[in-house]
Amino acid sequence: MSETDVVTVRGLRKSYGARAVVDGLDLDVKAGEIVGLVGANGAGKTTTVECVQGLRRPDAGTLRVLSFDPVAQPERVRALVGSQLQSSALPDRLRVGEAVRLFGGRNGDELLEQFGLAERRRSAFASLSGGERQRLFLVLALVNGPRLVILDELTQGLDPAARRNVWAAVDQLRADGTAVLLVTHELDEAERLCDRVVAMRAGRVLDAGPPRDLVARHGGAVRICFTLPADMMSRLGPDQLEALPGVDDVSYQAGALTIRGGRAAIAHVGAALVSAGWVPPDLSVQMPSLEDALVGLLERAGTGPARDTTTEHELIGAFR
Amino acid sequence: MNTALVRLVRAELTLMTREPLTLTFVFIFPVVTMLIIGGAFGTKPDVAFDWVNPSHWYVASYLTVVIAATGLIMVPVHLASYRERGVLRRFAAAGFPRWSFAVAQLVTGLAAVATASAVLLAVAALTYGLPTVHHPAQTVIGFVLGALAFVSIGVLLGTVLPSARSAQAVGLVLFFPSFLLGAGGPPPYAMGPALRTVAGYLPLTRVTDAVRDSWLGVGTATGSLLVVAALAVAATALAVRRAGL
Repeated sequence: MSETDVVTVRGLRKSYGARAVVDGLDLDVKAGEIVGLVGANGAGKTTTVECVQGLRRPDAGTLRVLSFDPVAQPERVRALVGSQLQSSALPDRLRVGEAVRLFGGRNGDELLEQFGLAERRRSAFASLSGGERQRLFLVLALVNGPRLVILDELTQGLDPAARRNVWAAVDQLRADGTAVLLVTHELDEAERLCDRVVAMRAGRVLDAGPPRDLVARHGGAVRICFTLPADMMSRLGPDQLEALPGVDDVSYQAGALTIRGGRAAIAHVGAALVSAGWVPPDLSVQMPSLEDALVGLLERAGTGPARDTTTEHELIGAFR
Repeated sequence: MNTALVRLVRAELTLMTREPLTLTFVFIFPVVTMLIIGGAFGTKPDVAFDWVNPSHWYVASYLTVVIAATGLIMVPVHLASYRERGVLRRFAAAGFPRWSFAVAQLVTGLAAVATASAVLLAVAALTYGLPTVHHPAQTVIGFVLGALAFVSIGVLLGTVLPSARSAQAVGLVLFFPSFLLGAGGPPPYAMGPALRTVAGYLPLTRVTDAVRDSWLGVGTATGSLLVVAALAVAATALAVRRAGL
């Protein structure tokens, strides 16, 4: 384990009764890295982070968090980890300022200010809106200056402005060298924030890597759509467009063209349009997103078994 | 001392003062019922009250109503509510040791008993007067061990019962028979044999006997003190084990 290794998980297994929730999972998080755990409900994401925090005892596997074993030394681990948990609460009558002092032993004025809670310092937890509660949990996760931050459904219930504010704070954590383990269903959030994304299904890693790489592998084609007047068909017809580099497929229906292909197709189709003297007013380009990649990946995985974990470990290592 | 524990105890003590259930059952209910029942039988010593002033008999008895309200209602409802809503999980994830919460509940429960008892005695002093304490050491020992036993029972219930509602239901079912037969209801002399037998098996009756008999110098409190001591040891041991101390 090197100095930059913050989380190292090998062969993690956890079952609830007969149901295996985490099944041989490997995971690495380095200092200053944001790693996202994504997958459908029941994929084992939350159980994984609970094991990392020492809140659940794994059935098998080895875990190291900042050189400590969360099973044998849970309190050493938790002292270095800040977490914002899914489905947890504070005492109803505990005030915001009291919560920060209780969890951090200090006032945390800067954090309260940063997350727009300074005015709510004397408000009871029960009186906070869902978004305010979420921001308070973030403040509590960060108040001790942790080396690893675990964020489970980070921006659930936040309005767009608050969401961007939270994203900026997470970016700052990375810049400060803090490791972040992000569990989320918001794939635009994972794409925007994460250095690496680990896609899970049925307690196993399906694929892992930087979001861009996952999109390239599983996201499917770029789609370019526009209408084409009949008098342009001789110069920009499907046959001509299909011959352009990067274009895989062209379909034409009722005057509307849809071109599928790689990223290179965007430039070549654009150049062809300009040289033909036609700039379509309804031109649109749809890039595949991480959501497209994950949906494709999970759909394919749904028809077959999750991949062997040894292979997954190599896969994770390959993208580091 | 562990700073996290100090912060937790301080927060829990603060929260206790804002909890309506605590204020109602631990601080208000014993005082109001003591004022009513304590005044119902006059002040003339009577055979039903071991030949002591009935008001004084109830003043000494009602200290243990505070203990029962704390241990059977306040602590279990509070703890079960925290478990149900994920508050304990939140604290555990933040690095508060598992045992710190049980210790905080124990300290808070004992503080509630001490404060509410002081309030009760202050009101009693102003209304019925405080009876002479015949055996101070035995009285204090009975009171402290009884409080420890019932707060531990409260921790135990709070860690077993799945929700605040179930804790409240079980707590009330345990509290009212204990209150009526073992501390604040009619004197044993006025009960039929069956009720007197049932009352004799209630833990609160033994705590009340230990405190009241030592305080008023009636009967022999030694047997009840031994039972209360055994109860305190057993309840605390079970609570410690259950809370993972």
